[in-house]
Amino acid sequence: MSILKLVARNLLRRKGRFVFTLLGITIGMASFVALLSIGGNMQNEVTRQAYALGGNFVIVPDDLCVYNQIGIITGEAISESLDFGAFERIAAIEGLTVIPHLTQRTAIQNATVTVTGMLPAETKAFRGWEMYAGEYFASQDQQAVVIGQGTRNRFDLEVGDELTIRGEAFPIIGILAATNSNDDVTLHIPLAIAQRVFEREGRISFMSAIVDNMERVDEYATAIMNVANVNVATNEQLLNSVLMILGSVNVTLQAVAGVALIAAAFGIINTMMTAVFERRREIGILQAIGAKGRAIFKIFVLESGIYGLLGGIIGVGAGFLVSMFVAPIVAQNNEAMLMGVTMGSSIDVQLVITTILFSVVISIVAGLYPAWKAAKLTPVEAISYE
Amino acid sequence: MNNIIIKTENLEKIYGKSQVKTHALKGVSMEIPRGSFSCIIGPSGHGKSTLLHLIGGLDKPTKGDVFIDGVNIAELSKAEIAEIRAKKIGFVFQFFNLLGNLTALENIQAAMMFGKVAPKEQKERALELLALVGLADKANAKPGELSGGQQQRVSIARALANDPDILLMDEPTGNLDSESEQEVLKHIAEIHKTGKTIAIVTHSNEIAQQAEMVFEVRDGTLKV
Repeated sequence: MSILKLVARNLLRRKGRFVFTLLGITIGMASFVALLSIGGNMQNEVTRQAYALGGNFVIVPDDLCVYNQIGIITGEAISESLDFGAFERIAAIEGLTVIPHLTQRTAIQNATVTVTGMLPAETKAFRGWEMYAGEYFASQDQQAVVIGQGTRNRFDLEVGDELTIRGEAFPIIGILAATNSNDDVTLHIPLAIAQRVFEREGRISFMSAIVDNMERVDEYATAIMNVANVNVATNEQLLNSVLMILGSVNVTLQAVAGVALIAAAFGIINTMMTAVFERRREIGILQAIGAKGRAIFKIFVLESGIYGLLGGIIGVGAGFLVSMFVAPIVAQNNEAMLMGVTMGSSIDVQLVITTILFSVVISIVAGLYPAWKAAKLTPVEAISYE
Repeated sequence: MNNIIIKTENLEKIYGKSQVKTHALKGVSMEIPRGSFSCIIGPSGHGKSTLLHLIGGLDKPTKGDVFIDGVNIAELSKAEIAEIRAKKIGFVFQFFNLLGNLTALENIQAAMMFGKVAPKEQKERALELLALVGLADKANAKPGELSGGQQQRVSIARALANDPDILLMDEPTGNLDSESEQEVLKHIAEIHKTGKTIAIVTHSNEIAQQAEMVFEVRDGTLKV
């Protein structure tokens, strides 16, 4: 017989209570992991998408709000408040390579997707696109669509299939090789065609630009703002403003997780207090056969620690499972702020270890008071308890 | 070696901290020789069990001293008294007080664990003790699967787990039918022959007749 064996027997004595208390801490830890993991993945994904934009900075309307800045990163359609003339004036600046984008929405199989109108040859060169299947656009006014790997997989599309955009037929002529950016989940059509079918003649949403000399970025920014009524944001600036918002989202998520954890901790305190009350006689017996207060304390603290260990392990597993299922739903929810973010869930070893340790510590702390109450009982008052 | 193994001096116990106080023991002085078989008798509620609890260190006296093998346990810390309970004293209670979620064998092993017996030795010794009380075949039975008499015999085996010098028993046959009572008494007599000091609180005249010494407690005092 060892203390651990005794503790295991105690825990399994009332299986229902054991399972429900364990569920409490498991749910607490699972929500902690899921919310942290989803929050962390949002940040990682936004960062990755921002770097996948290519170019050194984006040129946006000067009244673009932060919401729309997120839209640029996540590939959502944003307002088309720039005119094509501005693009032409900026493109004329020497040392600058710039491409325009007109982002709009359409639906495939009742799901909203983003359509980007772009200059085919320039954009392909700018982005470094390669073809996975089919052909690329042969001209600026070819009424056809090139899709990315994400769209192909999501809607089970192949070259030769036909999409309807604003009531007009668009054959899929090609599929891009994976870019790991929003380009994978966007429908690409020539800019002139996009402007016509969406009735946005002469309008564009934003531009991406590369400079030939990074040290002269400020000069270029000034030059750009001199020729058009626009704002210039480096990818870093864009990313920082989005991450700032995500930071506050994360804090909210963590607060929710914190509440779940506190509730779980009180669940353990409640269970352990009930156990101390119910097992007074048993505590007396243990004392009568030679258990010191220290041993009784150890038994009860170990019991709650085991709740924490098991709850932590199961909770981490459940949390990652939930985040794996929930993340894509959040990503595909068109009303969500982060539409288009193709979040996956990655298992962060540090988060796993920290969470399990955290769970054990919280449970042990929750068990301290009940354990102290148990250890404080005098043998005769415990043993006389009926 | 001192021949007196248990000694009390002017032992007093008052229960209750408010104005309503119960004077359970009013200055009990007694001596129990090593290896003796003594009984503490008397009407219910007159302080027999309280006396046994104080001797066994389950409770602290309000006044007076309890010497176990020459050591005044009234002056010891809780942990030191627990150490004495683990090694020098075995308890047997009227309602057996076995741990319901452990088997007969494990109940004995649990007592050995607190007596710091190495886990490897526990099983062998516990099986010997079960054989001693005639329950070798019930090692893996839980208390709920045993009769009252069998449970009390397991409880006696548990009391012997750490080979204590003293066995304190509180109405050990009070909850048994006469057949089981005889069985338990037979084992107690055998254990006494091994040199253990046995003190039993009882209402049973039969046990009292077998005892070498009888202490009668009335109204919290020893009746001479």
